[in-house]
Amino acid sequence: MTDSTESPDLQRRSGLTRLKEGTYGGFFAACAVITLLTTVAIIATLLSDALVFFAEVPITEFLTSTSWSPNPRGGGQTFGIVALVIGTLTVTITAGLVALPVGTLTAIYLSEYATPSARSILKPLLEILAGIPTVVYGYFALVYVTPALKATLFPEMSTFNALSASLMVGIMTIPMVSSISEDAMSAVPDDLRQAGYGLGATKFEVSTGIVVPASISGIASSYILAVSRAIGETMIVVVAMGAQARMPAVQEGLFGVPFINPADTLLQSGMTITVAMVQIAGGDLTGGTTPYDAMFALGLTLFVVTLVMNVLSDIIAQRYREEY
Amino acid sequence: MATDTENARVGEFGEVSRVRGIVFEYLSLGASVLGIFALAVLLIYVTIDAFDLAGASPLWLLTYFLTLVVPFLGFCLYSARDRALTRRAVAVAGGGLVAVAGAFTLIETVIGQVPRLNWQLTYLFVVIIPLTGYLVYMGARGRPGSVGFGLVGRLIGGTAIGLAFSVLFLVFDERLWFLAYTLGIVPALLAYAYGRRRDASAAVTAALPISILGVLLAVFVREALRTYPTTTFIYLWTLAVPIAAAGALAVNARGSRTAALAAGGVPLALAAAVGLFGRAAGLGVGGPNALLVVAVTGVPAAAYLQRVVDVGEGVTGLALPVLLVAGALAGALVVETFGIPTPNSWVSETFLTEAPSRNAREAGLYPAIVGSVIIIAMVALLSFVLGVATSVFLEEYTADTGLVGALTRLLQINIANLAAVPSVVYGLLGLGLFANLLGLGFGTAVTVSLTLSLLILPITIISAQEAIRSVPDDLRRGSDAMGATRWQTTKNVVLPEAFPGILTGTILALGRAIGETAPLIMVGAATTVFSAPSSLFSKFSAMPMQIYAWANFPQAEFRYGVVAAGVITLLIILIGMNGTAILLRNRAERGS
Amino acid sequence: MSNTETEREAESDAADSLITTDVETGSNDRTATSDRTAVATRDLNVFYGDEQAIDDVSMEIPEKRVTALIGPSGCGKSTFLRCINRMNDMIDVCRVEGDVEFGGKNVYDDDVDPVALRRKIGMVFQKPNPFPKSIRDNVAYGLKIQGYDGDIDERVEDALKGAALWDEVKGQLDSSGLDLSGGQQQRLCIARAIAADPEVVLMDEPTSALDPVAASKIEDLIDDLAEQYTVIIVTHNMQQAARISDRTAVFLTGGRLVEYDDTTKIFEDPEEQRVEDYITGKFG
Repeated sequence: MTDSTESPDLQRRSGLTRLKEGTYGGFFAACAVITLLTTVAIIATLLSDALVFFAEVPITEFLTSTSWSPNPRGGGQTFGIVALVIGTLTVTITAGLVALPVGTLTAIYLSEYATPSARSILKPLLEILAGIPTVVYGYFALVYVTPALKATLFPEMSTFNALSASLMVGIMTIPMVSSISEDAMSAVPDDLRQAGYGLGATKFEVSTGIVVPASISGIASSYILAVSRAIGETMIVVVAMGAQARMPAVQEGLFGVPFINPADTLLQSGMTITVAMVQIAGGDLTGGTTPYDAMFALGLTLFVVTLVMNVLSDIIAQRYREEY
Repeated sequence: MATDTENARVGEFGEVSRVRGIVFEYLSLGASVLGIFALAVLLIYVTIDAFDLAGASPLWLLTYFLTLVVPFLGFCLYSARDRALTRRAVAVAGGGLVAVAGAFTLIETVIGQVPRLNWQLTYLFVVIIPLTGYLVYMGARGRPGSVGFGLVGRLIGGTAIGLAFSVLFLVFDERLWFLAYTLGIVPALLAYAYGRRRDASAAVTAALPISILGVLLAVFVREALRTYPTTTFIYLWTLAVPIAAAGALAVNARGSRTAALAAGGVPLALAAAVGLFGRAAGLGVGGPNALLVVAVTGVPAAAYLQRVVDVGEGVTGLALPVLLVAGALAGALVVETFGIPTPNSWVSETFLTEAPSRNAREAGLYPAIVGSVIIIAMVALLSFVLGVATSVFLEEYTADTGLVGALTRLLQINIANLAAVPSVVYGLLGLGLFANLLGLGFGTAVTVSLTLSLLILPITIISAQEAIRSVPDDLRRGSDAMGATRWQTTKNVVLPEAFPGILTGTILALGRAIGETAPLIMVGAATTVFSAPSSLFSKFSAMPMQIYAWANFPQAEFRYGVVAAGVITLLIILIGMNGTAILLRNRAERGS
Repeated sequence: MSNTETEREAESDAADSLITTDVETGSNDRTATSDRTAVATRDLNVFYGDEQAIDDVSMEIPEKRVTALIGPSGCGKSTFLRCINRMNDMIDVCRVEGDVEFGGKNVYDDDVDPVALRRKIGMVFQKPNPFPKSIRDNVAYGLKIQGYDGDIDERVEDALKGAALWDEVKGQLDSSGLDLSGGQQQRLCIARAIAADPEVVLMDEPTSALDPVAASKIEDLIDDLAEQYTVIIVTHNMQQAARISDRTAVFLTGGRLVEYDDTTKIFEDPEEQRVEDYITGKFG
């Protein structure tokens, strides 16, 4: 113990010590900024080539033309995204029809009905669904699901088709819906459930009448994320859906309202935005050609759509966090 | 039923219909297992195809069931020491046999042939494999079981890590490593050890500059020097010796000096013997890679043996590897003697060690496996450093207010958004930025690794942040109150506590990277290469790329054979990585 | 809510027994004040956002004495303690006005490094918080981060002896600090705080998470510590303050220092009626 009268030395430490401390802080900050630079780099990369593309192909043509044939073969090149959007929508909607209801029911089961031990088994198993490489799902769709469907339900199905791919995309996105929705449902205060039971409601009525409405913003945000994931999904559709940009035939009919026969798109091969990108990348990558630039235009479209959906989902999710 | 109860009056209060509720509960339960069930069916089929189990004769299955599976289940039951469990297991195995066989006969007579499945395989997948999983879980709770699985895990894990290391030296220059190790790392370690022992802080401080100087010197000398020791000797000196030394030190810390010498020395001697004389002695294995594998497998196993024997609990469990090897050999012997037809598995030594081929039976995954290992190693390094640094910044170095606070919020939102950008877009980033702008080459290991690192970075960061956040604030405040600087608190208190969690998150994220295909296509990775890459800038492929390429082959042999084998290989590696991550997490949770 | 109520009841019980049995205070041979002041505050005000936690407190804390800070929950006594080693800096919304002088230097001056300050002032928390490291590494922590060059083992032994823990752990210095009992963990934290040889040791309700036997060991230890260190202790247990402290400061709601005097004076003949009410349990 010092027994001195002089005041203790509380000065800032030597330059070297502070430099060392500052270096660590600076290094961590620099690494953190890399994540920001990644976003900047993504936008810059996509924009620079996409702008070159739009200088050659007018943006109106890109957005309205129904024909996609990037490789000049006989006729000219055409870059119309409409057929690709239809392909993407086909997959997304079909996958959504699987993942959204199944995921929601799963979330309700996990949050309201499952015993803790059942939950501890089911949750990791569900996570496995999201952890299987997508190329493996694509292989499953092509080699097992399509022949099985062809042998049983849809004999007229082609080898590459949207249905098998969509089913696999749906299975893959189930855990995304279920885990976020379950978080939202678990965040519903028990008071609300007790109030329901106090009024003589059954567990079913409490689950569907109180818990689900109370967590609706969380559920909605999980839906948007899952759909955004399905839009950006690549390998499943590349492997199982084929690569033929098709416009489904619009049929005259039903009370004069034109309609598209779902079988026409689902059982045939088709092309999504992501498949179109992969197809170009499988060819020439040296740059400078219009198809190369078109790839970035498609990437930009995809990026903007998924970004908007994420921001939207985030805003919606904020609401339920604030409620409780 | 529904209408009956609805209107019935029971007692004074009446009864509210539960039917809707019950239906709903089972519906939601069904939904929960729907995806899992679908995946399970697909996995069963791909397993059957990959190992050609459909071609396996029932006798073959029976032989290995009796020599391998039954003894193993017996071991699990012995370890669990629970009579009720044994009775239950026997009942499930027996009852399952009757049920599956019965159901199958019924289906086949009423509906017709089930494609590529028979009742024996169904019994295997539906009863035996889940039962085995459950019994392993129960057996691991007993001492012999946990000891046995611990030893087998170390043997398998060691072999995998040893092989992975040997693969890395295909692209990294082992001579440069030899020089850097000899001139930089060894002197630095010696200085550090001397400094710690004699309380000479100058020597400790000098360790870092010494190592840097040594490595620089190594780079300088690399070209000038003409003669080098053989690769086997380099591995022995730069890898086997330090591993053995580390093992010996670990044993020394808790046991006697003799035990330490044995735990380090015996595997080292064995590794050296196999490496130097293995080929000459006609063992069929030898050379540098064998040396590496024996060292990486042997030292942890020896240290583990020493600990188990020292503690003296569950020593019988050490017999498990012997039991398994003996069972496999006995099975092989029986199959050979009686000429039982063997399934022609697509997952085979040829498949793992040969290059792709037009001929399905000769096709192999070797170059793609090497490519994947190299990518994983580089992605692991990059994303771990970047991920930990970023999460430390976000959790420990930021404030809630002011400029730094605003930056933090921006970073946080940005990371959440990056996590949801489609992987194919990351591929475009890699193509535009790394391949074209920076000129790192199309589809080279560097380009792919950088792209995948950025792809999994958000996931790594988010999980590392969670791990860091779970460190109790008490500890931070305790350290701060001692006058620790922020870095000292982070280094000494926060990171050691958060480390298992960070590691788990990183491994899980790497699992994502190993299966990614779309970004690889976008940056121009080759679908098929015929030789293993020899440098970081050579053209190379990865497992999912090869699977993608083969899936397009029209021949059934590829579709149902080679690709299935590739899928199984990829999934086994994934399961191994994720299993390790989960074990690490569980151990850390038990520890704290 | 109910928690604080039971706490208050316990306190008033304690106070009742204190008054009726007339417990001896300041059971040592030190004088209540010393020649030198270790820590002094002048017009100290602390705000959490818009809320005032400390209201214009000026006091001088004598060197090598035990000074107790007592008062009802939320009266600002812990905040006051944390101003002395600037632990409040960690809280973003916290704003400090006025001076805290340590050895004649205002610790809130611009040229003062809070890290350097904390190396001179040890702190012990309410809940024992040993690091998940060995006992040796726990005690040596402060020395290591300061880059201490000498014989660390010797200092570890001294500190453990000083914290009356040496005899219990000398054979197991390499085992984890978390394997110790709660009372031992708290003494380990005290050893950790004194190993780096601070001048002041701050204690924030150090016995409130412990059983009575462990608590009384800590109390004995605090008495011994005062021979070498200035001890400032926050406690909600008035009996404890009476037993171990030389000086007592009573804070009441709103962060105001109501009375500060020799412990004997405070407990036997307080100036303020409010203080007497608080001590006798009429006002919680």
